[in-house]
Amino acid sequence: MKPAFRTSSRGRSLVTALIVLLVLGAAGGAFAWYKFFREEPQPDWITSDPDMRFKYGSIGAERDAGIPYWIFYVLPRVFPDKLPGPGGYASFGVVWEEGQELPVGFSKKVVGFPRVANNCASCHTASYRVSADSTPVFVPTGPNHTLNLWAFFRFLVDCAKDPRFNADNLMAEIRLVTDMSFVDRMIYRFLIIPITKKTLLEREEQFAWLYREDFPPWGRGRDDAMNLTKYFMIRWPMDDSLGPTDMPSLWNLQKYRPEKGMRMNFAGDSHDPFSVIIDSALGLLGAAPKDNDEFIEQVRWLQGYVSAKRAPQYPFPIDAAEAERGKAVFQATCAACHASERTGTVVPLAEVGTSRDRLDTWNEKAAREANRVVRDMGIERPGLVEEPLTGYVAAFLDGIWLRAPYLHNGSVPTLRDLLEPPPQRPTAFRRGYDVYDPERVGFVTSGAEAERIGTLHEVDAKGGGNQGHSFGTDLPDADKDALVEYLKTL
Amino acid sequence: MAAHPRPAPRRTLLRALGRLLLLLPWILILLGGGYAVMRFLPDEPVTYGDPVEHFKYGSTGGERESGFPYWIWQALPQVCAEHLPGKGYASLGMTFEPGRDLPVGMSKRRNLGLDRVFLNCAACHTSTVRDAPDAAPRIIVGMPAHRFDIRAFESFFFNCAAGPTFSKDRIVPEIDRLSGGLGPIDRYLVYPVAIALMRERLLMLRGRFDFVFDQPDWGPGRVDTFNSAKVLFNFPMKQLPAQELLGASDFPSIWNQRKRMSRDDGQRMELHWDGNNTHTEERNKSAAFGTGTTPPTIDLAAIARVENWLLDLEPPPWPWPIDEALAARGAPLYAEYCAGCHGASGSDFKGAAVGHVTPIAEIGTDRARLDSYTRELALNQATLYAGYPHRFRNFRKTWGYANMPLDGIWLRAPYLHNGSVPTLRDLLEPAAGRPSTFFRGSDLYDRRRVGFASAAPAASTTPDGERLFLFDTRIPGNGNAGHEGPAYGTELPAADKDALVEYLKSF
Repeated sequence: MKPAFRTSSRGRSLVTALIVLLVLGAAGGAFAWYKFFREEPQPDWITSDPDMRFKYGSIGAERDAGIPYWIFYVLPRVFPDKLPGPGGYASFGVVWEEGQELPVGFSKKVVGFPRVANNCASCHTASYRVSADSTPVFVPTGPNHTLNLWAFFRFLVDCAKDPRFNADNLMAEIRLVTDMSFVDRMIYRFLIIPITKKTLLEREEQFAWLYREDFPPWGRGRDDAMNLTKYFMIRWPMDDSLGPTDMPSLWNLQKYRPEKGMRMNFAGDSHDPFSVIIDSALGLLGAAPKDNDEFIEQVRWLQGYVSAKRAPQYPFPIDAAEAERGKAVFQATCAACHASERTGTVVPLAEVGTSRDRLDTWNEKAAREANRVVRDMGIERPGLVEEPLTGYVAAFLDGIWLRAPYLHNGSVPTLRDLLEPPPQRPTAFRRGYDVYDPERVGFVTSGAEAERIGTLHEVDAKGGGNQGHSFGTDLPDADKDALVEYLKTL
Repeated sequence: MAAHPRPAPRRTLLRALGRLLLLLPWILILLGGGYAVMRFLPDEPVTYGDPVEHFKYGSTGGERESGFPYWIWQALPQVCAEHLPGKGYASLGMTFEPGRDLPVGMSKRRNLGLDRVFLNCAACHTSTVRDAPDAAPRIIVGMPAHRFDIRAFESFFFNCAAGPTFSKDRIVPEIDRLSGGLGPIDRYLVYPVAIALMRERLLMLRGRFDFVFDQPDWGPGRVDTFNSAKVLFNFPMKQLPAQELLGASDFPSIWNQRKRMSRDDGQRMELHWDGNNTHTEERNKSAAFGTGTTPPTIDLAAIARVENWLLDLEPPPWPWPIDEALAARGAPLYAEYCAGCHGASGSDFKGAAVGHVTPIAEIGTDRARLDSYTRELALNQATLYAGYPHRFRNFRKTWGYANMPLDGIWLRAPYLHNGSVPTLRDLLEPAAGRPSTFFRGSDLYDRRRVGFASAAPAASTTPDGERLFLFDTRIPGNGNAGHEGPAYGTELPAADKDALVEYLKSF
């Protein structure tokens, strides 16, 4: 080396140094890319089966909204006091299949390191049990009436706010559950944990309305969707609105035909299925897609999947004669809105008379702004309706038995209750318990387990009103019973 | 160099000394580092060539995360004598073989610079039987540890750690005495640190296992497996509903695992009392959490040795005479009443319902153990061993109790999942005719009724230090109802019951 060095020119040594630097830089870059950005495809059992893909497949949300897997794993162990109850993530009422590492709607993907994010199935997979001593039945594309999304959002922020959210505590738990290389431990300790804490804390201000003392919790199975869009996508300052609504079912989504004047979302605030899926998925991504073509392909696949699904059969016996009688009642009382040209179109608020709180969470200006944000991402879609909201969409009733509680805000526990005049409907009940009540057609809302697991819905609370839709409430009891029997067949 | 004048010899010496002085810290660091590497890095279990010895004393890897330093373990019975029911660990129902310094079910491993000891599988799955009060105990591997009071074991360490004597001032001199003298590094560094860490760890566990001490006493031979599993996930135990919190039930026998991997319909048998898992491999790794292992620290090779050996390990035959004529009368009764659920014989596990869960409404036994296992727990268990190929995939909530094969049934007393019926003969009585209280914890065998001696002893402590526990079936979780009615043989004539019991001795 030495003689060679002596004889080399100054220029040559500079070139050598530069090359060394470049090689080192390239190696460092490759290392950083590998450890933080490389993407590994999800395993075959997820990608090759449509139901598995819907339940566990990545929609690309891990990149910006993903939580590092091992942090996600240990949070319930480190912060059990911040969960709604015992049971880890199960206490949020997530739909979770036995033997699965993650609940339905949670996707795991390696982007540099394993991360967990959500997909559509987290809010759109239903579960029910035919009796307390039985295993739940899961229905992908059904409404998740058990998920306490409000508590889940708050949990992540609350953990990040806690001084116990630090590398020492989290690494002490992580060490108990997995082998990590020295390099990965250092990356977790000095980069991933602090960055995750910071990222979660950044959401605190946007989630401020979840912490308002004058607002009730959403409760299980409800989502304040338009406020989420308002505070996250278009970043408006907090206002005084609150309009949580039931998670909707997605099965047979192709029934919404925009060309026939139909509108989507409870208040008719979106034009068509394609737009609704895009906007919901963007909400989960938390940022512009990395690759629009890939994203649109994903949306098209989801649209095809949910369009092809059909509502499940009612799982208990149906009295056919009674249902037949009920069909006549249905034709006379309900069909004008729920099985006609009017189905899927907006019914003016004055006519339906249900709670207006959901309408107040969104407006024309917000729609224009959200459409601009999506357009600026380079995504073309019919989008949100740039008009004032005037009422609620007359719902299609396929699988209505599994869509309890009822009305857009889930303020009426059962179909039978919905046929009572509003003052006689339950004023407080538990929601989010998954044992089915075939008598009243809806979920069980009282009893020790319903009270332990379910969240309390009070119709006096903001966003919870059970007024309106007093159609058929003056029918004789026998007709109401028959009608409910018929509705089981839909 | 050549231009420098040659220094005088004295200056050379000084300079060399100076150099040495400069190097001294480095030399010390090197020596210290070398010592530390030699002392603290080795991770070596005590190993045994013989599979039986490996089962009784071999490591599962649990010492790495949970091991007690050997000398602290030896010192604590003296330091905290008031927290033990009697003299030494034997008073907790642990079995000591002659010439052994550790009881059956304790393994030792050199780890972090110390010999560390902790429980292995044999602690809960090995015990003793005696023919007569003055007979020597026979040690039988694979049988339920019907004398081991694991809750008293836990309490001993928790209470000891919480007390004033768990300090280096008390423990180190005791270790000094027992070990024949500690070196300065051990005396002033290693053991003081180990004592402080162990105390902190025990107090943390004491807090997490607090719920156990709100339960009625388990008594020897019983454990609340799945509420302990909830602690693993740090479930807030205080928030659990009351009906979940009483899961104490008997340790099971663990023979003949291969035959439990299949059943008549081609599926695997449902394992655990409530049949919550169908895979022996997962069931074993799950049980290994009880031996202190964690996914990164489990010694899979050592566990695999035990697993493979258990595949075909058979229980010892009934060691006393059997009335063959009476047993022959019992055989057809067994075939008629029992075989469908419990297998064709003690070694042939065929039977349409063997390894299947019978719904609770049908079996009617105490439901506390069933209710202690929840769907929420099953879901969380599916996250165990995440990132490993053997992540748990088969835990699930069931709604009844599993029908078990009856191999070595004579050694599996008391009976029913919660050990609420002392003998086989009692089990053939309707619940109302079964003893409402009886004593557990004796290894003296009752050949007539088939089970362990369960009558009140002369004093609560027999002369050889055996401590008995009064089991009360009227306490929640201890119910002795169920498994009764015409289909279960409890309405047979007494002579038929006697014949059936005689036949079961051959299992």
